[in-house]
Amino acid sequence: MTEKESYSIQLDEVDWNDASCLITYGPLPDKLTLSIQTVGLIQKPLLQRNRDGLLRIVCGSRRLAVCQQLGLEPLSCEILPTSISPETCLRMAIYDNIAQRDLNPVEKSLVLTKMAQHEDQAQLIQEFMPLLNLEPSTVIFGRYKKLLLMEESILDAIAGGTLHERIGFVLSPLEQGDRFAFFNFFQELPFSVSVQEELVETVVEIGRRDNLTPREVLDSAEVNDLRRAHKRSARQRVQEIRKQLLATRAPRLTAREERFDREVGKLKLPAGVRVVPPPYFEGPRWSLECTFERGDELATRLRQLAELADQPEFKQIMESE
Amino acid sequence: MKYRPERLVIEKGVAGSPLVKRILETLPGISVDWVDELKEDADGENGSFLEIVKFRGRFIKPCPGTRFYNCCGYQILNLGIHCSLGCTYCILQAYFTSRNVRLFANLDDAIQQLTEHLDNSRRQTHRIGTGEFTDSLLLDPLIHLSEHLVPLFAAQPNAILELKTKTAQVDLLENLDHRGHTIVAWSLNPPQVIAGEESGAAPLEARLEAAQRCQRWGYRVAFHFDPLLAYPGWQQGYQEVVDRLFSAVAPGGIAWISLGTLRFMPSLKTIIQQRYPNTSILDEEFIPGLDGKLRYFRDLRVEMYAHLNELLLGIHKDLCVYLCMESDDVWREALGFSPAERGGLSAMLDRRALS
Ligand code: SF4
Repeated sequence: MTEKESYSIQLDEVDWNDASCLITYGPLPDKLTLSIQTVGLIQKPLLQRNRDGLLRIVCGSRRLAVCQQLGLEPLSCEILPTSISPETCLRMAIYDNIAQRDLNPVEKSLVLTKMAQHEDQAQLIQEFMPLLNLEPSTVIFGRYKKLLLMEESILDAIAGGTLHERIGFVLSPLEQGDRFAFFNFFQELPFSVSVQEELVETVVEIGRRDNLTPREVLDSAEVNDLRRAHKRSARQRVQEIRKQLLATRAPRLTAREERFDREVGKLKLPAGVRVVPPPYFEGPRWSLECTFERGDELATRLRQLAELADQPEFKQIMESE
Repeated sequence: MKYRPERLVIEKGVAGSPLVKRILETLPGISVDWVDELKEDADGENGSFLEIVKFRGRFIKPCPGTRFYNCCGYQILNLGIHCSLGCTYCILQAYFTSRNVRLFANLDDAIQQLTEHLDNSRRQTHRIGTGEFTDSLLLDPLIHLSEHLVPLFAAQPNAILELKTKTAQVDLLENLDHRGHTIVAWSLNPPQVIAGEESGAAPLEARLEAAQRCQRWGYRVAFHFDPLLAYPGWQQGYQEVVDRLFSAVAPGGIAWISLGTLRFMPSLKTIIQQRYPNTSILDEEFIPGLDGKLRYFRDLRVEMYAHLNELLLGIHKDLCVYLCMESDDVWREALGFSPAERGGLSAMLDRRALS
């Protein structure tokens, strides 16, 4: 056990700029404020006196911030001796936090980044990633470390849960302007996380192919028209924008799908019958869906289909251009 | 372009092997690390070390085809892994974490397994290649592997060795007694593709000149337009390759020509993007194939195959042109027939191999 002593401190003794053990990120929880307001500080914050005589916060940064907001002082705190190493202080901060709550992705990133200054990467991955409910992998470690390089408003959104960390991972390697173009886009329309991921990949690839920045792709007339089509529901706009961008990225597949729809339309298939091409038109397995209610209805449909299968128009559908 | 490693990492257990002795004689003064056992993931991430190890697995294996596409029934003689030529699209980048070339020093074990394998299936025709997990001739000037393999296959009535390369390192083949049982094969691409995507490999002219020399020495040659890459102007680019190919090489001495468009495991995409951020090979649209690999959309594949096939057969109608890992419907649309109509792809190539 580490030796610590209780002291009564004034808030101007706290070094608010020393973030070496700070691993909390995000707005102060209302419930914490309410609790301190109502019953005062139940658990004492832990601090350590630094070389300048000021107090470095080890555990309890949010409790202290609430007390500062509420102007509550003096406060009873526990003070660690100066002999305790910075690494041990940081470990205390981490273990104290993970024992109480789940950390948000930005906080996980803070833990990994700060511990990386003290510990070898392989050991860090093995010890801390499982503690943070993360798979111990170098790739995931790298992704979390890069999160922190992004701007505050994006980190706020990730910490607050309005932007998924998976999207943070794909935005972090981009240029700042491109990153914000995506960020604003995703804040504006209700894309699911997997569609957001798909769109970042699609837009970046279109840009690379066409020599445009991702921002320019997102700002194209086609996308903007759909974005501003306020008469349609947000959900419809999301679907249309996605379709538009996928078509730009995959013009051959889109052309083939359109041709397929046109040709199937001309066939005048019986009601309740649908021809389904193989996924991406790859491979020989086409299928036919037929819904019916009675046996005689099925017999009629099958007769109609047998005639249809012999028609050149039907065979043409299955051939490429 | 000659392969010269910066350092050798050798397992102590193979110190006495003739291969190691030869390498040490050829590279006097090179730094050597002697290790007990080399793990899969050795150092030298930039690929500058040559690792020499004892291989404990099967040296000979069937090519890992899939049931969804027509496989050519090739067999792989695995004598080493990885390659230093650095093609942007190289699938080996996804297979192996280390970028070092790794050589299996227990050649005697390999040869024993190979001869047993051939003896055990005398009725079968064997088409065997060493260029699946590395370039067949990359290390030849250093280890003289061809001096062992070519005569060995010459004595086999039912087997053909295919040496697949992107180098022009054929000097050692000149005086070997091959008796028509070794086919030397080159992968071909237009010069601008070679410059951009295969920059460590030999230029087109050098490959064709090497093929010409091999033909002069009586070898049959083969060519692989694989990967065929779609880029603006690919039609013209490949037309030029075909023209240059036939001005260098006599069509009658070509065993086969394969066509295969770019395809890769999805995990390779990120690796390519990270290692070669300026490459444009990922610009085309890709779809997941039936085997899970990403490949061009079928209409484009059909168009590319049909174009190449027409160019090739326009020059010599008896060439054996085949598609690598494609389905019957693509064969029919691009080449006008499916392998099944000619007894299957494997049988088609077996007939060519021993003709
Ligand atoms: S020559 Fe073949 S094995 Fe070598 S890097 Fe190129 S694709 Fe890979």
